[in-house]
Amino acid sequence: MTTPLLEVDDLRVTFRTDDGDVRAVQGLSFTVAEGETLAVVGESGSGKTVAALAIMRLLPRTARVEGTIRFRGTSLLDLDEDGMRDLQGDDLAMIFQDPMTALNPVFTVGDQIVEAIRTHRDVTESAARARATELLDLVGIPEPKQRIDNYPHEFSGGMRQRAMIAMGIANEPKLLIADEPTTALDVTVQAQVMEVVRTVQEATGTAVMLVTHDLGLVAGTADRIQVMYGGRLFEAGPTDTVFYGSRNPYTLGLMASIPSAVGRTARRLEPIPGSPPSLIALPEGCAFSPRCAFATEACRDEPELRVVDAASGHATRCHRAEELPDLVAARATATAGSEGGAAEPGAAGDGAA
Amino acid sequence: MSDATLDAREGLTTVSRSFGRQAWDRFRRHRLAMIALVLLALMTTAFVVGPWLSPYAFSDQDFSALNQGPSLAHPFGTDPIGRDLMVRTFIGGRYSLRIALLIAVLTTAIGTVIGALSGYFGGRLGAAIDQVINLFLIVPSLIILIVLAARYGSGPNAIAIVIALLSWPLIARIVRGSFLQFRDQEFVLAARAAGASTRRIMFRHILPNVFGPIVVNATLLIGIAIILESTLGFLGLGVRPPVPTLGNLIAESKGALQTKPSAALIPGGFIVTITLCANFIGDGLRDALDPTSRKS
Amino acid sequence: MLAYAVRRVLATIPLLLIGTFVVYVLVSISGDPLAKLATCTQCDQQAFDRIIDLYDLDKPIPERYVNWVVNAVQGDFGPAVSFGSIDAGELVLERAANSARLAIPAFLIIVTIAITLGVYSAVNQYSRLDYAVTGLSFLGISLPTFVFALLLQTIMIWMLDAFGWRPFFVTGMRTVELDGFLPMLRSHVLPVITLVLVITASESRFQRAAMLEVINSDYIRTARAKGLPNRKVILRHGLRNALIPMATIWAIDFAALLGGSVVTETIFAWPGLGPLFISAVTQLDLNLTMAIVMLTSLLVIVFNLVADLAYGLLDPRIRYE
Repeated sequence: MTTPLLEVDDLRVTFRTDDGDVRAVQGLSFTVAEGETLAVVGESGSGKTVAALAIMRLLPRTARVEGTIRFRGTSLLDLDEDGMRDLQGDDLAMIFQDPMTALNPVFTVGDQIVEAIRTHRDVTESAARARATELLDLVGIPEPKQRIDNYPHEFSGGMRQRAMIAMGIANEPKLLIADEPTTALDVTVQAQVMEVVRTVQEATGTAVMLVTHDLGLVAGTADRIQVMYGGRLFEAGPTDTVFYGSRNPYTLGLMASIPSAVGRTARRLEPIPGSPPSLIALPEGCAFSPRCAFATEACRDEPELRVVDAASGHATRCHRAEELPDLVAARATATAGSEGGAAEPGAAGDGAA
Repeated sequence: MSDATLDAREGLTTVSRSFGRQAWDRFRRHRLAMIALVLLALMTTAFVVGPWLSPYAFSDQDFSALNQGPSLAHPFGTDPIGRDLMVRTFIGGRYSLRIALLIAVLTTAIGTVIGALSGYFGGRLGAAIDQVINLFLIVPSLIILIVLAARYGSGPNAIAIVIALLSWPLIARIVRGSFLQFRDQEFVLAARAAGASTRRIMFRHILPNVFGPIVVNATLLIGIAIILESTLGFLGLGVRPPVPTLGNLIAESKGALQTKPSAALIPGGFIVTITLCANFIGDGLRDALDPTSRKS
Repeated sequence: MLAYAVRRVLATIPLLLIGTFVVYVLVSISGDPLAKLATCTQCDQQAFDRIIDLYDLDKPIPERYVNWVVNAVQGDFGPAVSFGSIDAGELVLERAANSARLAIPAFLIIVTIAITLGVYSAVNQYSRLDYAVTGLSFLGISLPTFVFALLLQTIMIWMLDAFGWRPFFVTGMRTVELDGFLPMLRSHVLPVITLVLVITASESRFQRAAMLEVINSDYIRTARAKGLPNRKVILRHGLRNALIPMATIWAIDFAALLGGSVVTETIFAWPGLGPLFISAVTQLDLNLTMAIVMLTSLLVIVFNLVADLAYGLLDPRIRYE
């Protein structure tokens, strides 16, 4: 195997606040290969967006970032600002969650794409404009020659996100980080935008790191999935393996709570009880244990992320990974027998807390 | 509080304190606001107790020490007819603080009521208030002040009332903005659906949410009022002498700037210090009562 | 845009009429010239009648007001009785020019300093300089104009005592034509500094807040993600947006400065609109008061319009039709 495109090792991000240190990312390690699509999934507060911003070095200065991030062999955290700027928007690009606010309202869409091009390429204004028109065409903006002179507020939400993507891929990045690119959009538009991402990926061969809370969105797009919770990696593996053979209660919970999740038989939706942990005062042991239906005494010790299937690289962070399929099956029959009375999640939570 | 027990029962939040307690904790962390609070308390004490402890009365004349600079016997010096300036400054501070407090309270009361009514009912009342505010841009406050003072006298209370009548739009606009914002929110709709009276909705449901900005601005108003009152006094348009306010004291001594600058600069220093304190306390209260508005 | 401007100006006419009417009534009912005349022992009935006739004192106030409006529209503001009955309109314009001598340089300095400090302290939030700027602006806001002006004068007096020389004049206005360039400069500095300090304090706070809001916005992050140099991110993407809310504040402040500052001009004995206004109101000189109010109202209206139009130019989301 050649060196991966992106190599993150033991990434830790801490924010100092008045109420204490917020440990947003704690010891995150993963890789992204050339041209692949990695989906990073988790609830808000799981640290997925913070990790993405840490890679781009776009976190505010109040954030303490430790560990190593290597992009094509270069250690990003050791680069000076100029060196990092050469990468940002060139080989390493990012598109953001809310296209309503991510475009500067006082410049035309075209100006903003041209700026992205001319920051990294020594081309004339008109050449950059021609390229920008091509890009708008590629992402599916109708009449790009006219629309290039529109201001962002003259675009619909979906079109703005398309324009964002056009800006992101302007310099044919090696890695495109997409942070919740569809969250702020209508459901129908979401599918279109994901289609654009796929088109773009085929056209440019860029690797995509797709950060999202929506497992449903990931199914048809990602090569691999990694699930984050409480600033930690909870499960990682090829998309199908995670979908059909998850060995983590949190991933299972996520899937059960998503209406469109693939791989679940028609059953009532089961929201995960409780809310994500405070990143200031994390629970002892496994961060998910207070909400976990299967938590035991053993969960007072924090489980390691361990590989359960070496061939696929499937890894999970759960003491009971091996028995999990049986536990789930048993619980399903129990629940079916006496409506919901069998496993009271609160009780399990109390035991662990 | 009930919210706290609810959270505690769910076992999800570990710490839960009452709003007042949290606010105080946040306020205490604002170091400058705490210093300002202590300083303001000290000055108020000096203004209230000082003249009482001083060997000189407010209008006692010491003919052996006319128009003197600061000395051991007269720490702030004396005026041209031998009156002790420390006692006069303290009494002046007492008047100025009282007027400022009165202005802050009156302005806040008028502004809150008008702002709440116009924000909640909106429409024509809101438009009318806009027009009044616009009118204030055209009709100079000084004219109203001078005319009203000529009619109704220029004692401390009269001046305070006039200034409050001129300053309420400051508060009304803030309160109105908040009422507009909360008027259509779910908890208000819920209260309305439950049959709560309009007055109950306005004062029990919405007003507590606007409490933070109102208190903050009332505090800032104290600073503004001190400056206004003293400026008017300095121009000879404020509280009429012989009532000594800090502004009047400076006005009395501005002619002697060459020989005895301390007579003007000491009361000036008090004005600046009181205003600074009010502003810092206001800043601290903003952090404490309205944590979302923090500039971070 | 022009149509919008015209409509805006027309819309302010009722407000202007009501405003001036209120002032007219307030001043008219406060000072009764007849009462003054009645105590005048040397005046004969003939002079008395002439004055009544001259000022329409036998007519009701609303009618007098209408007459005033008719004359004012034609540019005739009547004689300023407290100033030897010279033309009130001319007097006001002459004094307004003197106020502008302070207002224009003060405004330019204020805007320059406020933008620089506001941007710098927002970009370097929580740095030592940010705290210094915050502290200074708190001090500036808390320092009444007259105290600061007196402080400056005290320093000058002390310098004159100590060194037999002072860099700046403490009172009065000198012009290039009458006194030469250097005296002109020496007389303008202190009042300008006074105006600058007081307004800069609040304006740099506003600029800082506006800039902070912009800096934390998503599109600034987008600009950084493009790999733009910091300077471009801050100035091109940041400041450009942070100037939008400032337009209104500048307009209000500039209109107020041009309208004359009562305190500063009084203390530095500057022959501007401020002291003229105080004198007109305290002496109940109706024509003079009205002429000043008219001018300051027009300034407020015009600069609010300018701010609105500037807003439209700076922010493409706003279109005036």
